Amino acid sequence: MNQLIVDTKNLNFSYTKTRKDIENLELKVPKGSIYGFLGPNGSGKSTTIRLLLGLLRKQSGSVALFGELFNSKTRLKSLDKVGALIENPSLYEHLNAVDNLKIAANYRQNIPKGRIDEVLEIVKLSHAKKKKVKAYSLGMKQRLGLAISLLSNPELIILDEPTNGLDPKGIIEMRALIKELNEKYGTTVFISSHLLSEIEKTCTHVGIIRNGKMLFQDTVKALKSSKGKKMMVDIEVDKFIDAMTVLEKLQKENTSLVDEFLQIEVEDKEEITGVIDALRAHHVKVYQVSIKNNLEELFLSLTEN
Amino acid sequence: MTAISYYISNTKNEVIKLKKTFAFWLTIISAVIFPLLLFIVYLVKHEKLIPGPGENPWEEFMFKQIKNTIPFLIPMFIVLITSLIIQVEHKSHGIKHLFSLPIPKWSVYFGKLSIVIISIVTTYIYFFLAIVLFGHLLGVFYSDLGFLDIQPDYWRSAKMLGMSFVASLGIVGIQFWMSFRFKNFIVPLSIGMTMVIMGLVVSRAPESIYFPYSYNVLSISYGAQVPLTFGISSITVYSLFCFVVTCIFGYLDVKRLNVK
Repeated sequence: MNQLIVDTKNLNFSYTKTRKDIENLELKVPKGSIYGFLGPNGSGKSTTIRLLLGLLRKQSGSVALFGELFNSKTRLKSLDKVGALIENPSLYEHLNAVDNLKIAANYRQNIPKGRIDEVLEIVKLSHAKKKKVKAYSLGMKQRLGLAISLLSNPELIILDEPTNGLDPKGIIEMRALIKELNEKYGTTVFISSHLLSEIEKTCTHVGIIRNGKMLFQDTVKALKSSKGKKMMVDIEVDKFIDAMTVLEKLQKENTSLVDEFLQIEVEDKEEITGVIDALRAHHVKVYQVSIKNNLEELFLSLTEN
Repeated sequence: MTAISYYISNTKNEVIKLKKTFAFWLTIISAVIFPLLLFIVYLVKHEKLIPGPGENPWEEFMFKQIKNTIPFLIPMFIVLITSLIIQVEHKSHGIKHLFSLPIPKWSVYFGKLSIVIISIVTTYIYFFLAIVLFGHLLGVFYSDLGFLDIQPDYWRSAKMLGMSFVASLGIVGIQFWMSFRFKNFIVPLSIGMTMVIMGLVVSRAPESIYFPYSYNVLSISYGAQVPLTFGISSITVYSLFCFVVTCIFGYLDVKRLNVK
């Protein structure tokens, strides 16, 4: 587990002289992980991915893939083990899915003929394989892009915002697919996203980037525990003043009213039941109770000034 | 994989990519359009076009047609076809994908360049075949036009077209580099078209032997007057030189390109 599939040291890159787009980036992706690369739009996620794949020339620092320094000598060997989907998938829209996959297969070595049907099955596009890609929905195009990156059974899959433009069903399917690839085939998956919920639900590891700098990098578990144990809970009630009095009696501090919701802090889930019972005992109607996502706040606090 | 197999797989893929594209049809349309138009003119006005005694009808139908159309048709075709073929890649965001595959970048550049050259050669061949076919058809419809009585000088026309092809290679190198470099196909297209027109305009000036966009018209219309270099026509040498230099620099430039 400790072997690093991607390991960058002091990576620097800028598009212009005035601003550093990537600054001393140390990216460490362990083998067999699903690594979420999280950051707001324009934080340098796609730039980092392009640097990893050699599409941009780094100004300083080093990139190692599969334990080997990535340079012109090792480029072909390293890229052979990588499947990538960078932003919009590269598809020839005037051709059908099979032709697109044939082209991708021709570029790679020794892809068996049956593999094209296999990957189409994996991304559930077999029914539309003869249809021109032009007629595909955004989600279908994204899935075909993924199929292309899966063709060679890569050890590492790099997906740049794979759920961009997908509908909720598509997002759930993509999430399941990523997990399946990781669990079934041991593929290391590197996903970039600007959505925390996405990373939280799928990934084992997370790296948070802002303005080209890595702010946090560890397991998702570690990220969750770094926020402490307390949970924020939103409660919708009919009588706020009565409810506040009840909460005061329960010695709940840090109580506030936000957007017509009472916001309180609790130690654990058990405590929530006690609060509801107390409110109901005082004839306060409770319409809904929801636990706020701590990570969301953490992410915002990390990525906003 | 060896260098040859990289090159073959790339070129093979380029053929698949051209399927059902306008670039594919342009190769045929460009080749056939002028011979077809002249064929229609002959059909309509055949009485006025009957050759005099001892005159070879192919002189007018084949050689004059080559002289009148090729210097404009081929450079324009090159400008269009290079832009269109590479546009297939730009449109599909393909360069970033190709350069992140385990294939050498040279195989991408030269595989694509090969398909451009194959398209140009194909157009020359179709153009030649269309003239021969339409000429013979005219002979069948109107025997007094004399197309079936005398055979054309195939070798002379093939030589003319061959010289014109070599003279065009210089602009193939330039246009290909530009088309690869600029995602917006309007850039190579507008520069190329302007240059083609300039090439025709300045072709009478002796200095035009240093302007690759004039080489086609020079090879076809002023072939005999062009000075020699190493015993062969200067424009052949300069065109090949321009092609080799732009290919090398073009590849080195694209190889170092930051793909955004």
